[in-house]
Amino acid sequence: MAEVKNMNENDNDNIDSLFDKRKSVQLTPENAKFSLSSGGLISLEVHTEQYGDEFFERVLPVRAFPITEPDEFISVREPDTREKGRGAEIGMIRKMSDFDERTQELLLSELDRRYFIPVIKKINKVQEKFGYLYFDVETVAGKVSFVMNNPYSNFRTFEDGRMFLYDIDGNCFEITDPNKLDKASLKRIEIYL
Amino acid sequence: MKLMFDLPKQDEAALPAEALGEKRMYCLPYNYENNKYAEGYMLFTDKHIYKLLEGKLLETYTYSEMSDFSVESLYGCSAFYAKVNGVSTMLCRINSGRNLPRYSVMVKACELLAKGDSDTVLKSDEPERFCPKCGRPFVVHTKICPFCQNKKEIYKKLWGMTRGLRFMMMAPLITTAIAVVIRFIVPFFQAIAIDDYIIPKNQQYGAFIAVIFAIVSFDLVHRTLNVIQSRISAISGNKFTLLLRSLLFEKIQMLSMSSIQEKSTGDLMGRINNDVSVVQNFITNLLPSYVSYILSFVVALCLMIWLNPLMCMFIFIPLPFAILFIVKFRKTMNRRNIRAWVLGMRTNHHLQDILNGIRIVKSYGNEDAAVNTFQTNTANQAKQDCSNAKLFDTVFPIMGFVIRLGSYAILMYGNYLMFVDPMTVGLVNQCNTYCNMIYEPIMQITTIPRSISEFTTSLSKVLEILEENPDVSDIDSPKYVKLSGDISLRNVTFGYNSYDPVLEHVTFDIKAGEMIGIVGHSGCGKTTLVNLIMRMYDTTEGQILVDGTDIREIAQNSLRTQMGVVLQETLLFSGSIRDNIRYAAPHATNEQVIEAAKLANAHDFIMSLPEGYNTVVGEKGYSLSGGERQRIAIARALIHNPKILILDEATAALDTETEKLIQDAINHLTEGRTTIAIAHRLSTLRNADKILVIDHGKLKEYGTHRELLDMKGIYYKLVMAQQRLAQEK
Repeated sequence: MAEVKNMNENDNDNIDSLFDKRKSVQLTPENAKFSLSSGGLISLEVHTEQYGDEFFERVLPVRAFPITEPDEFISVREPDTREKGRGAEIGMIRKMSDFDERTQELLLSELDRRYFIPVIKKINKVQEKFGYLYFDVETVAGKVSFVMNNPYSNFRTFEDGRMFLYDIDGNCFEITDPNKLDKASLKRIEIYL
Repeated sequence: MKLMFDLPKQDEAALPAEALGEKRMYCLPYNYENNKYAEGYMLFTDKHIYKLLEGKLLETYTYSEMSDFSVESLYGCSAFYAKVNGVSTMLCRINSGRNLPRYSVMVKACELLAKGDSDTVLKSDEPERFCPKCGRPFVVHTKICPFCQNKKEIYKKLWGMTRGLRFMMMAPLITTAIAVVIRFIVPFFQAIAIDDYIIPKNQQYGAFIAVIFAIVSFDLVHRTLNVIQSRISAISGNKFTLLLRSLLFEKIQMLSMSSIQEKSTGDLMGRINNDVSVVQNFITNLLPSYVSYILSFVVALCLMIWLNPLMCMFIFIPLPFAILFIVKFRKTMNRRNIRAWVLGMRTNHHLQDILNGIRIVKSYGNEDAAVNTFQTNTANQAKQDCSNAKLFDTVFPIMGFVIRLGSYAILMYGNYLMFVDPMTVGLVNQCNTYCNMIYEPIMQITTIPRSISEFTTSLSKVLEILEENPDVSDIDSPKYVKLSGDISLRNVTFGYNSYDPVLEHVTFDIKAGEMIGIVGHSGCGKTTLVNLIMRMYDTTEGQILVDGTDIREIAQNSLRTQMGVVLQETLLFSGSIRDNIRYAAPHATNEQVIEAAKLANAHDFIMSLPEGYNTVVGEKGYSLSGGERQRIAIARALIHNPKILILDEATAALDTETEKLIQDAINHLTEGRTTIAIAHRLSTLRNADKILVIDHGKLKEYGTHRELLDMKGIYYKLVMAQQRLAQEK
């Protein structure tokens, strides 16, 4: 392939685009301004060394530690698209509390939409049949029934005593403190604790 | 999957007048609104999308103002997005498991509708995962709803399958029934022996011996019957298992790649091993014992009532307590057993983790931590096991005592009757025996419903595979052809899901004997393309022709025996090197094996092994290096002299030197055959006659190395990039 050894400047740029990767920055109130888009989603104005001032019509906040540190290390990304594939990380928020309250609220409202983990208040019925558990529960988001398979791997308890229940559809439910549930509810799930 | 749901009446009423005249394309539910559960519907007509919630029209979107439709899987839900007048908007949020596949189709559907095409109505090939009757999910990987399945039909099918085994399967039931009857006759004779001979000190030895002889011979018959029953059970059970397993295995081999890939290896193994065992165990062991329980219970009860109804009452005094106790304690027992099981699993997992990664543990000096974790785990497990054992060993004897309190009551009452009534010792003894026969089944009866439901679930899982129609199948009179190796693709489109094509409109020709390289980034559809040429899947649209014949007209067997494949992940089966090389041609001679190994540059290293070609490889055998395995795989592909050779990243994981060896082997291989090689390392393809560049499922560039370089397109960039990487090294 000797014939292509002599690359000119233009070619170099061309090839660079193959390795092109956005450099993620730390997002602070100084360089980043979040706002509510007219479509109800989050827009971002950001200033970076690499690209100067930019405006993103829609960005996605994604938690790095959704369970242990939900309010820290939030990656702000471009949406994935079918043409370009995975969206790049624009930057990371170290702590949500670095930002003013309005921004925090804005980010939280989007995060709450992205991480939908209704807290279970009451368990009305648990039926085990054919190796599946059929639940009827009341959550902060309303009444719901769900089905869990393989109960012994789909109850997950965390160090702080919280418990997550994963169902067959990829939904997740939280029990903040099993011991604070009413007696009847606790009894229904006791054997899985 | 269903894409047209019925709109509830109240939502229907909320539609604006203009909606009534529009053509309804799709109607789907959505599940959340304002972070609350909701039962709303999205109605897609040819002009608008109407978002409805409980009798209210929330939004009306117009396709002409929309673009960039997409779905995103979030945590615990999914969402459907689009740009409305250029502004990103979340249209609705949905339950991932239930509705994400439906909305994925809507992305495509809305794109079509936005273009003004309202004639194409898309369908979803994805199987429905929820019971249309009750809305509960099917058993994973199946179409079985445990609540709605028609049990009668399943039993009917099972009956059909037992043809030829029926007598054998009935035999245990018959012998069980006879055994039960005999068990009840023996106490009668015991009563006669006690009342007529032992108590009155009757000295008619002849008659007494006859009675004793009768007891002994009935007992003997009973035991013989038991032996016969166990033997028949063993034979018929194993025959049944054999039949079912081979039927299943045969069927799995016939299924196409796509239906096999829907199921995991673990799931298929589970069905062949566990589910068949559950079915067999039920038919040959559980069913006869249940029949015997129920029979003994009923017969004993009738006899007791006949002998002395009042006495019979005493049996049932402790019964409510006993049953309550069993039910209550079973829960505790389950919980404790599960806890012990979970702890045991945890220890096992940890052990497996650490032993597998022992090199890493040692190289990071983490032995102490590993030992500590292990000790904590085993200590916990031991503690739980110990406490379980203590509890169970205390409770079971007490339970047994409580249950048998009834028989003490019978003894007491019987004794009392003997003073006041013509009750005899023999009769009391007889009643006591029957009483125990009533208690025995009660302990077991609580498990019956559970094992029946396990049985029907397993059986329907087995039947599901047996009844599946293979989706890639031969036509009625397939052609058996001798290939020369021309391959043409005509406008081929294919997707594992119809809404998400992996390859789109691919057309090219390969002449016999050419070597073609396929290039593209990972996930662009290279392997899929090769799978299509091997007819692991059928194309969604378009045709694949081999020597001018559509591959769907050629017998699969005839097609594949003329193809050889070398994959990146080389799987060698357990067995000798010779067996592995001969895999595709079991009757190949040793000369042919050596010839193939030489061509594959494998002969020399095989000769350096102490057992030569007889060396055992595979899971438990001699561990070969990646390059060595690869060369054996090449020899395996070569031995039946295939006309079409497929190399799917055959050299990707190897070092340069080994690659050179294999490259040389490949150069031998490609002579006189059509070769299709997929490669990341472009140097592998330097001998290729032509190169195909695939990008996002589309054929972007096709030509010789030279032509593509001159084109300065994707291939050129890739070559440059790899050169630069090589220089940086």
